[in-house]
Amino acid sequence: MKDITITASRLRKELIIFFICFVAAFGLNIYAIAKFETDWSEMLGQLHVVLAIAAAIYLIIALFRFIFIAFIRLNKKK
Amino acid sequence: MINKQTDRREFLKEIGIYAGSTAFLASIPWMKAFSQENGKNRAPSDRVRLAVIGVGSRGHALLLNLLEIENVAVVAVCDNYEPHYNRAIETTKGTAQAFYNHRKLLNEIKDLDAVVIATPLHEHAHITIDCLNAGLHVFCEKSMARTIQDSKSMVDTSHATGKILQIGQQRLFNPVYLDALERIRAGEIGQITQVRAFWHRNNDWRRPIPSPDLERKINWRLYKEYSGGLMTELASHQIQVANWFIDEIPTQVRGSGSICYWKDGREVYDQVALVYDYPNGAKCIYDSLISNKHYGLEEQIMGDKGTIEPELNRIYSENPPVSPGIKQLIHNLKSEVFEVIPIGGATWLPEVASFNNGNRIAQYDNNDTFLELAGFVKAVKAGKPYPNLLREGYHATIASLLGLQAMETNSIVNWPAEYVMGKES
Repeated sequence: MKDITITASRLRKELIIFFICFVAAFGLNIYAIAKFETDWSEMLGQLHVVLAIAAAIYLIIALFRFIFIAFIRLNKKK
Repeated sequence: MINKQTDRREFLKEIGIYAGSTAFLASIPWMKAFSQENGKNRAPSDRVRLAVIGVGSRGHALLLNLLEIENVAVVAVCDNYEPHYNRAIETTKGTAQAFYNHRKLLNEIKDLDAVVIATPLHEHAHITIDCLNAGLHVFCEKSMARTIQDSKSMVDTSHATGKILQIGQQRLFNPVYLDALERIRAGEIGQITQVRAFWHRNNDWRRPIPSPDLERKINWRLYKEYSGGLMTELASHQIQVANWFIDEIPTQVRGSGSICYWKDGREVYDQVALVYDYPNGAKCIYDSLISNKHYGLEEQIMGDKGTIEPELNRIYSENPPVSPGIKQLIHNLKSEVFEVIPIGGATWLPEVASFNNGNRIAQYDNNDTFLELAGFVKAVKAGKPYPNLLREGYHATIASLLGLQAMETNSIVNWPAEYVMGKES
């Protein structure tokens, strides 16, 4: 079995992508608070939901990235 | 709010010193008695000496609980059925004298403080009255007696002798019910307009018998001579809760019963359905059956501001707090994606049951049978009954028996004035 090395630059890249997902999810929370006129304390109170949404967005993006990279590599082999 | 502890001793102390509202404590004066220590360091001479008469299924459970209470000595047991008799001797490790007859027990055991009675229902009255007249305090399992008149005779004897008579309605000592009552008295669910109570099981209610001649002795619950069936064995608990929470007794009752499934020679109904009317217009709608257990048991206390389901330990608001915005957004998105497009369009949507999960009423790890027996022992030590506790058990029994009468006569039965016990102040 090969050793997998996660480089510092790879880790930084993934963290930036996750941060973008978090910002998007946080923005969604603010939009929902404004739309449904609920309490602004939910900005912090619903952080657990925001994190879950951020993780879901990250996984969806990861799926597309995986498909894209797999497509590129398959073409290269041809 | 009562802060529940899992430790029984701590719980008993805590509820005794609880400084709740006067109105609330007035509803449960028996809880004040728990303010004293349970007597861990009391001298052996301060022990409460008890006998248990009737050590069958329920009696044995009571015996096991009694053996856990400090400063209680179970000095005698009594049962006229050999296997129960022998089991009780084994359970008490031979420390309790065993009898087949309660009168022999009363004659031979000296310095007895109290008895616990868990015989078949039709035996409750005469044994209780004998024990009260012998100068003993009595804990008698519910229901009080097979007939309304016998129930009244038990109460009259208790009053005449000045001895404690406590009936085995353990929900009166259950922390969830006590907390629920506090919330009701504080107005949290508003005006109670209906209590819907039910107890559903799915079994024939029979116990195995070693020989056919023991059928009526062992399965006494199935025969009218000995039992009121579902009404005296199950309903009594829940109608007590309804009376307690509504803080009234019914004025009248109507109902219908049948043997619709277990047609095996039994005499008591295997299904009952009744409506109890209260003076303020509230109703208790009660049913019990033993051919389906899907819904189990519950007392649904319904007020204009909320609902309490104490068996599930839940309280629900009619107007639950609004969901957070983000959850509403997700819900709306999901609805739009998976929306069913109606053919023709809906002009009316059914008002289905609320999906509100409610909130827990109280932390409860205790055994309310233990708590009611501990309460009884406290009362015996104090030498006086708790005000209005007997009233709860008595009215529950009368309500159950009147319900049975309504079903058997197929008529509306009014609560006779002579069977109303006034409130003690």
